[in-house]
Amino acid sequence: MIENYLHLLSITILITAFMLVANKRVNEYIKTFQLQSLLLAIIAGILGVHHVSQTGDWEILLVAVITVAVKVVYIPYLLRTTVRKVEYKVEKDFFWNIPISILICCGLVLLSYFTITNIEDISDRFVKIFLINSTAVVLIGLFFMISRKKAIGQIIGFLVIENGLFTAAILSTNGMPMIVELGIFFDLLTAVLIMGILVFRINESFESIDIDKLKNLRG
Amino acid sequence: MEITLLLALLLLAGLFWTTAKRIHFNIMNCIGAVMLLAMAILTTYKVSVSGPIHFSMLDNLFYIDEFSVVVLDTILIVSALVCIYAIGYMNHELNHQSVSLNQIRLFYSLTYVFIFTMILVVTTQNLGVMWIAIEATTLASAFLVGFYNSKESIEAAWKYVIICSVGIALALLGIVLLYISAVNVFEGSHSNLNWSFLLENAKRLHSSILKIAFIFILVGFGTKVGLAPMHTWLPDAHSQAPAPISALLSGVLLNSAMYGIIRVLTIVNKNLGNTLYTGRLLIGAGLISITAAAIFILVQKDYKRMLAYSSIEHMGIITFGLGIFTPAAIFASLFHMLNHAFTKSLLFLASGNIYLKYKTREISKVSGIFKMMPVTGVFFLLGLFAIAGMPPFSIFASELNLITAGFAARHPWLASYLVLLIAVVFAGIASIALKMFYSTGLPPRDRDAMKPGEVNFSGIAVMGVLLFLICAGGLYLPSVIKDLLVSAVGIVKGGH
Repeated sequence: MIENYLHLLSITILITAFMLVANKRVNEYIKTFQLQSLLLAIIAGILGVHHVSQTGDWEILLVAVITVAVKVVYIPYLLRTTVRKVEYKVEKDFFWNIPISILICCGLVLLSYFTITNIEDISDRFVKIFLINSTAVVLIGLFFMISRKKAIGQIIGFLVIENGLFTAAILSTNGMPMIVELGIFFDLLTAVLIMGILVFRINESFESIDIDKLKNLRG
Repeated sequence: MEITLLLALLLLAGLFWTTAKRIHFNIMNCIGAVMLLAMAILTTYKVSVSGPIHFSMLDNLFYIDEFSVVVLDTILIVSALVCIYAIGYMNHELNHQSVSLNQIRLFYSLTYVFIFTMILVVTTQNLGVMWIAIEATTLASAFLVGFYNSKESIEAAWKYVIICSVGIALALLGIVLLYISAVNVFEGSHSNLNWSFLLENAKRLHSSILKIAFIFILVGFGTKVGLAPMHTWLPDAHSQAPAPISALLSGVLLNSAMYGIIRVLTIVNKNLGNTLYTGRLLIGAGLISITAAAIFILVQKDYKRMLAYSSIEHMGIITFGLGIFTPAAIFASLFHMLNHAFTKSLLFLASGNIYLKYKTREISKVSGIFKMMPVTGVFFLLGLFAIAGMPPFSIFASELNLITAGFAARHPWLASYLVLLIAVVFAGIASIALKMFYSTGLPPRDRDAMKPGEVNFSGIAVMGVLLFLICAGGLYLPSVIKDLLVSAVGIVKGGH
């Protein structure tokens, strides 16, 4: 029963990844990421409540709370401040137009479907579907990173990849060991802080956050 | 005891923020180096006398066996030497007002955090925590790569953080898949991510899941190791970072990422019962890396980038040896890891002194090193010979072992191709050495403006130690180290 709800939520996470690819502005990216993280937190919350009622195990519920605090509240806030400070100008930010990007992403979902269904030892039907959806999110995140020119777009792509991984871990294994989960959050937070500072520095020395301009080092 | 020393390192990283005097920085650095060496001696002694070290706390989080010790010792010894070297390097930069005292404080503090994270990679047995530590190495060293704050170094730091974080994220997917297979088998009740546990029960895990997990982990950690085609961050980061950091990145960071791959490789090979699957992947990845590196070395114009590509080459050689996976090949690979760490850090440290003197990284603008800095020049030239694989240095010994192992394992074509590539790299390095030492490309006016004389005396002492290590390693292998390596090979093979 609970699997059906989780199935639905994992598909909505995949849909938010498609929404992200269709977004045109940096502020929209951040909003979509926030929505996706909220969905992830809801998944963790449902699983957490389920576990508390079944076994009294509160770890997943804690993960849900941290997800809300870190991914829904703090990281979007951090990214918004960064965007405001680098005086982002609205200009075309993608290499391919959106319909083509969406088509490529559909291809990525198919790729993930065929890869995961080929693993014969995953017997549980739901685990299979969860893995297909979350691997697709990871691949779309990767595609998003290479399709945007702005440094902020790359950070968002990285965060979406991380969300996909997290969905995979929490849905198909009921969560990694607690110490690993906490460590991943810590790393993620530090990574975003460092990337934010580097964006400032790129903006200072290149007078733009266009990754296209980073072409000094070759060969 | 080891844990206390580990925490003391973090404490030391924090202590740099309490003072603003240069002399205090230098003293604290010396203390740090002594601590690192003490840790190396202590753990090596304990492990070689009484076997693997366990700590029962935190679900057996820490576990050090002979294989960990081999990698751990390289990390500790190279780090300790680099800390000493950094004193002279940073004092010189400070005297010439290239950097401020605040920057130096950040540098030292982050360097110790960086060393701490690398130690964590090889002392934990939880694959999840190992992943966290490898990601943390990227984060701790990001600002160290961007230390000089120039356009190029910021670009290098950005590429480094983005490419490595994404690569590592794929490795996490691989670890999640490993965990899924463990949870499938053990119903989640006592399954965990400790590799000793996974190795013990390797036969019961699902092969099809492990196969795909291995690909993700190879690509993920392979990014950090610098295997082509995921290597693009490496030449940038190595060339833009200050010399002590380049030495740490190339000498030990790559090894600790390789350590992650090897641990998973052992589990997968034990599960599959043969080495065909992993062997093809690793030999392929290794040869592609060596080929790419050989081509780029031939056309290189920047001496630090040349050294960086040479690191890619040597990581490729190690990967090739692991792909063959006979005891002789693994022995050669592990020995090569040690030798590469010492030789490459010697070269990067010497290149740092050359950079301090000439203020350029371009090969064409450096000439007559022997006249300018005779001691550093000799170290650099001998280091170049060593890295290119000349006897009597230790790299020659391990490469020879590896190639014979390749022939013995009935891969004559692959081993011959490896020999050919090593010859190409040798030619590339030799031509660069000739240009740097004997060309007269520099206009006389520039040459006269520079006064001959050595810089960074603490660094020269360190380079002497490293040169001694690589000479001695090529001529005679002490039985302590040999025993350690042999039992490490047994562990990598999957026994106990």
